[in-house]
Amino acid sequence: MPKYQIPIVDTDIHERVQYKDILEYLDEPYKHYITNCHWIQEKHMPYTQPAVAGVDRADAIVPDGRPAGSDLKFMQEQLLDDIGHEIGILTSALDPSPSSMHGWHEMAVALASAYNDWQIENWLEKDERLYGSVHIAAQDRDAAIKEIERVGSHPKMVQVLLPIDDIMWGDPFYHPIFEAAEKHNLMIGMHHNEPPVYYGKWPRYFIEWHTLIPTAHMKQITSMMFNGVFDKFPNLGLMMIEGGFTFIPHLMWKMDQQYRDLRHEVPWLKRKPSQIMKEQVRFTTQPAEELTKKEFMSLIEQMGTDEMLCFSTDYPHWDYDSPYRALPNLDAELKQKIFAENAKAFYPKLPKKRRANNERASSL
Amino acid sequence: MKEQVVCKTSDIQPGEMKEASFGRQGVLVCRTPDGEFYAFMNQCIHQGAPLDKGMICGATTDKSKPGSYDYCHEGEVIRCPWHGREFSIKNEGRMLANPSKKIPSFKVRVEDESVIVYK
Ligand code: FES
Repeated sequence: MPKYQIPIVDTDIHERVQYKDILEYLDEPYKHYITNCHWIQEKHMPYTQPAVAGVDRADAIVPDGRPAGSDLKFMQEQLLDDIGHEIGILTSALDPSPSSMHGWHEMAVALASAYNDWQIENWLEKDERLYGSVHIAAQDRDAAIKEIERVGSHPKMVQVLLPIDDIMWGDPFYHPIFEAAEKHNLMIGMHHNEPPVYYGKWPRYFIEWHTLIPTAHMKQITSMMFNGVFDKFPNLGLMMIEGGFTFIPHLMWKMDQQYRDLRHEVPWLKRKPSQIMKEQVRFTTQPAEELTKKEFMSLIEQMGTDEMLCFSTDYPHWDYDSPYRALPNLDAELKQKIFAENAKAFYPKLPKKRRANNERASSL
Repeated sequence: MKEQVVCKTSDIQPGEMKEASFGRQGVLVCRTPDGEFYAFMNQCIHQGAPLDKGMICGATTDKSKPGSYDYCHEGEVIRCPWHGREFSIKNEGRMLANPSKKIPSFKVRVEDESVIVYK
């Protein structure tokens, strides 16, 4: 039952593009490849997502039959208005990821640009609550930097999205991307696409792959950490999206212990890894494991800070988390932090104060 | 609200389910392939999804062995539209993965063509 009202900053909402929607933002010859040559992005997962309607909530399919997440009006009705979001951060579903594009960088770069233009025009500029993620084809580093320069200063772009896929982003080759992001006050958001969690192959069942996604997130944090990204770019933050959060204490302890033993190899780390995580790494909460309040509070205690978790729904995907039910009933101050303040403190471009004219309070 | 006609028998074919109102409460009326009617709260006990947006289906059973599926109870299982949890219609709405949890149910009787839900 509603007890009091707090705003929600939802850090993971997947708007969805259909290729026909971005054609007008694509130049030739790329447009031709989709329109006449029927190009679609290569996917590798051998199974479907075995819920009721594949990757989506069965009730999120647009009433006219279009795929979930593809219509702003329906998203407003079912999510933003219904719950009363103050802010929603779009993380999309288009992914010109390295493992699906292979060496076809030109197409990946064109898709990312078209996507950004489509996102800005059809979402960010149509709903004041929505903020966006800059898509890049980071495998083509220099083109990616150009794209960050092109759209990164848009007032509603808050992060650069990197896929958790088959590249470890801590590699110094990619550091210029972080430099460009930092320059524009953009954070880095990382979301898995089809990461190899299984010795480079696919496990036999979807449930195995889905269970192991946090391991792919741990690999990227470890890569960013020991390659010195956070010390080199002190104003940069990393948001790990949709990989869970119960592994955080383990990773902090493990990296600290390794650092004490083997600092010799990574002398550019000036702070303990756990300290760096507390200061520069954040995690979206969905898919939240079902914890009791006691278990949840013990986890926060083990992290040593209550500022790392940022609430997310993952709408419209099947493993959506309801703001009313996904987390245990936390004390007001902590709730406020997890549901809104932590994300506002993390993303420099989000408005810090609640909009005065915002009537859409959420009851939690 | 003690009892209420929620629909006609012809409104729901065997193997289908439908949302209805019982007073102010949303109920999910299910009709199993043998023609019987059942009614449950139309809200998932996990995170509250509207169950009528899920599916009525069968399920892989505990007779399955690793690598070989046994699938049956077609039309006797409700699957939630969000996280896909399965609930047995014939077994008091109990969750297949954790039978100690169940969707609250209502009593149902049929009089002439009317499906009546009561407490
Ligand atoms: S809300 Fe029904 S399974 Fe989660």
